[in-house]
Amino acid sequence: MTLFFRRLVRRPLTLFGLVLVGLHLLVALVAPWITPYDPLKLLDAPLEPPTEAYWLGTDELGRDFFSRLLLGGQISIIAAACAGLIAAIGGGLLGLASAYHRGLFDDVVSRLVEMKLSIPSILLVSLFVTGFGQSLAVLVLTMGLIYMMGVIRTSRAMGLVILEQGYVKAAQLRGESSFAIILREMLPNILDLLTVEFALRTSSALLLVSALSFLGLGVSPPTPDWGLMIQSGLQSIRSEPWLVLAPSLCISSLVIGINFATEGVAGLLGLEAARGATGK
Amino acid sequence: MSTINRRDLLKAGAGAALLSALDAAFLGDAIAQEQPKRGGTLSYAQLSANRRSAGPNNSRHPYFIVDANTKQIWSTPTWVNPELGLELEIATKLEPADGSLKVWDMTLREGVMFHDMTEMTAADAVASFNYHRQNAPFARQITKVEQIGKYAVRFTLEAGNAEFGYVLAEYNSPIMKAAPLETIGLDGIGTGAFKIVQSDPNRLMILERFESYWRKGLPHLDRIEIHNREGQQESALNGLRSGQFDAVMNIDGRAALQFQNDPNFEIETARGGYSFVIQLPKHPGSPFLDKRVRQAFAYAIDREAIVRVAYSGRFGWIGNDSHLMVTDAAFVPRAGGRDVAKAKQLLAEAGHPNGINLGTLYWSPQLPEAGRYFQVLQQSVKDAGITLTIEERPNDGYIQFRTGDNDLSKGNFHKFAMTAVGSRNPGISLFRMRAAFVESGHWRGPEHDKYLALYNQAMVTPDAAKRKAIYAEMQAILHEEVPAILPAGGNTLMVKRKHMRNMPYHPQIWSIRYEEIWRA
Amino acid sequence: MLIAALRRVLLSCITLVMLTVFIFIATEIMPGDALDVSLSADEIAMIPPERLAKMKQDLGLDRPAPERLLSFLGGVLTLDFGKTLISKTPVTAIIGYPLRNSLILAGAVLLLAIPLALTIGIAAAVWQGRAIDNIASTGAIIGYSIPEFVIGTVLVMIFAVAWPVFPATITASTNDAALTLLAASPLAVVTVLIGSIAYLARLLRTGMVDALAKDFVERLRLTGIPEWRIVFLHALPAAIVPSLTAMALYAAALVSGIVVVELVFAYPGLGQELVRGVTRREVHVVQAIALCSAALVVALNFLADMAILALDPRTRRA
Repeated sequence: MTLFFRRLVRRPLTLFGLVLVGLHLLVALVAPWITPYDPLKLLDAPLEPPTEAYWLGTDELGRDFFSRLLLGGQISIIAAACAGLIAAIGGGLLGLASAYHRGLFDDVVSRLVEMKLSIPSILLVSLFVTGFGQSLAVLVLTMGLIYMMGVIRTSRAMGLVILEQGYVKAAQLRGESSFAIILREMLPNILDLLTVEFALRTSSALLLVSALSFLGLGVSPPTPDWGLMIQSGLQSIRSEPWLVLAPSLCISSLVIGINFATEGVAGLLGLEAARGATGK
Repeated sequence: MSTINRRDLLKAGAGAALLSALDAAFLGDAIAQEQPKRGGTLSYAQLSANRRSAGPNNSRHPYFIVDANTKQIWSTPTWVNPELGLELEIATKLEPADGSLKVWDMTLREGVMFHDMTEMTAADAVASFNYHRQNAPFARQITKVEQIGKYAVRFTLEAGNAEFGYVLAEYNSPIMKAAPLETIGLDGIGTGAFKIVQSDPNRLMILERFESYWRKGLPHLDRIEIHNREGQQESALNGLRSGQFDAVMNIDGRAALQFQNDPNFEIETARGGYSFVIQLPKHPGSPFLDKRVRQAFAYAIDREAIVRVAYSGRFGWIGNDSHLMVTDAAFVPRAGGRDVAKAKQLLAEAGHPNGINLGTLYWSPQLPEAGRYFQVLQQSVKDAGITLTIEERPNDGYIQFRTGDNDLSKGNFHKFAMTAVGSRNPGISLFRMRAAFVESGHWRGPEHDKYLALYNQAMVTPDAAKRKAIYAEMQAILHEEVPAILPAGGNTLMVKRKHMRNMPYHPQIWSIRYEEIWRA
Repeated sequence: MLIAALRRVLLSCITLVMLTVFIFIATEIMPGDALDVSLSADEIAMIPPERLAKMKQDLGLDRPAPERLLSFLGGVLTLDFGKTLISKTPVTAIIGYPLRNSLILAGAVLLLAIPLALTIGIAAAVWQGRAIDNIASTGAIIGYSIPEFVIGTVLVMIFAVAWPVFPATITASTNDAALTLLAASPLAVVTVLIGSIAYLARLLRTGMVDALAKDFVERLRLTGIPEWRIVFLHALPAAIVPSLTAMALYAAALVSGIVVVELVFAYPGLGQELVRGVTRREVHVVQAIALCSAALVVALNFLADMAILALDPRTRRA
């Protein structure tokens, strides 16, 4: 473990990424207690420049922009992390099961994976939003499903490698159920991989959520959200550019942080960073 | 009563006269004395949109293009000037046949050519109004339209209407080339100063000068390009700055403040341009059946905040829950202002002591300030315990969405939704609150009947001052009954490059005289 | 070779049919139907049941799901996606030109992205671990970490507002010629391009690094063949094959990117129609757009498979 940290320190970008992510998480966590104002309250004249009272001025409705900025990541981060978790756990189990059982089950899963990967994620979400209505739950489940496909692929490949090892054979000889083997013998061996997958899928989901909010298909107003804030800030980009720049910086720095951190940690864990299999 | 007298009508809107003086001051002497030049293109972006959903086969029909552009292509019998006075346009005479004001005779101008170089006659007007009276809300009062001479037409109305001339100036009253009801208007051929070259629904319309336009020597411009940028004000303003557009129509107050000190641009304004009506459905099960809920809603809205946020304060005004604009001489403000305590009390009386959820209020970005307008509204009524969700819908197809093929007998209900309301004479404006019209939320009951009786009485009252008194009485009924809510409105604003000349704004954006605009 | 190619044609077709079924299920069968989603819950609660039944009948929604699926599949085969719920316009008429325009944008991006990504990817692999590699790799991570709409917005701020050299918004018409459209949209192309290059260059770099470390490259070096020949004639084909297998993912990401960027720049493509379709709950429009994009991805994937067949002799036996 100490070796791990010593190597980590030698990778400044990874460290930088970890710090960024940590900062974002901290802010998102304590935001409800440190926001100076109610993010929904119409306080003052709209589009006031930054002052002592309002550190980043007011937004187009006269709400405190700084308070909204602090809270603007919460929903997207929670939604993205939930989607990442669903993808990592569901994908991990399905991938392993697929590798363990082979045969028809494997064929069906692989075909499904291939098919899902053919529909661009934004369209898949649009389909579900049209079909089920625009809600955060639909969004999270859809994204979880989308990113699960990629995870199934990598964990299935990993599962095939594990199957070659003796301990799975041994467990089979002991007469353990396939479910127990997958859960107890195989899953612990891909936890590293799943952690990395979780981080990668979360970063992709973050990009997707913010893009959807930007398009008006994600988080709905008046909830503060970076994607939404960028969209409404565009209306006054010339006179109040910070209304666009600040949330842009927030969302970009968070995703960059996750990706730098994941890249570095994956490298240290000896995992090929699976970026090639993610896409946006 | 003789031929309708413009001055009589003007008396009703006397306050508006002041505005034209202001306009003249804005224009300045230098520009006024310049000689108009011929030629050139006007390319503008429009942010407002009020239209039905157009597809490739109906994209040239006057009902399916954005209302603000209709009169460039088609002429209407009458025209409303910037003071909201009525003038004759393609009609040379319009007069009631008798004192009942129910039958009106119109004579059309001779020698007016359609874009395909056939002459316009009474037959075209009859065919057009047979279409309008079945499809346009204001023209429904026409029960019969008949040809009584080569250029003479007779309208029979369901009731007398002293202000009928205004109906003939509506954007839904263009004279189209005669054709069967199913196909009339689809050819996009009118008698206007410009003819359609290209119509790309949702995006672009290109018009070219019509050489044989009936107003000789006009238009000055060779070509007009209309770019649709609804809901995308910043994108339109970027286009203006980079020289892609010469003007952007219907900007919001925020944009006007940005441009007002820029020497390359001019802001044109017309006071009392638009407001929004929120239709409150009153079908079985709706919370708005209860008058107290409607009253509480009206008291809870922070109208001043809407003016402050959506109209940058100075470009807006507080509405009075009637369709009248603040500029109208007949406008009577709502007494009392905002009263959260009273709203709460009314809700409690109505059986909602812990507040009420009114469901989803739909809105569409018909004007750039709409989004902020309804967010402020949503936030402000929270203080009185009223929750509502707001949901945006695209402009394209919004009319059908909002009205929902509105036919109560078939179980088709309209929605809890907003729409923009333009400046009009009181006769048209107050008629919008009738039970039969969706914007009143199909308001019914004895108070409504009293309202309509007053309206009918006003319509056959030739004396403008007496009419005004009746209008005041009608508004008092609205303030008490609140069939619909019109919280606040704003002036129309346009930004243009200095080289576009003689392009003043109009409170009715569909009544701008594009043929008189020229490019220096 | 021919059999392998036919096999892939068949596989692509099967995938397409499954996709069509999936899209149908996702939007029409699950909880409600086209009518339920075009109305809000409040409204459904208020409409009398017999009226609702009548509306469903009018839209053909009362037929059993398998029957509707069959007619949907039949419609797709003849490129008939039905009519819109509100205006009753044929969906094909609505999405025809936007589809073409999105393809134009995608084509322009691909044309520029591939050579640029190749150059960067090869340079980074050849000079692995050196400054150029570090810059390229870090740049790639940043490039695909920033949302497209942020990149687009920043480009507008720089090149259309602060230093106005490019148009900020696209004024071209839906049915303009391809070149007119492209000439009007340099910033939109660049925005999609940045993400594309970041993604592709990284993919190629990984492939190249692997290829350059292979035994056969080592053997070639020993025979004294010049390094540039090894890189371009021997290592590159070997590096491209694994990159091509990731084509479906790239194509899907490309489509997603284009959808967003079209909205930033008001480009008259499928993205605009998609958002319009979703907000108006025009199920048929969304179905058609999803299907078209999926078909595009499948087609690109098929082309990639064929290229692999041509490049890699081992796969021909499969």
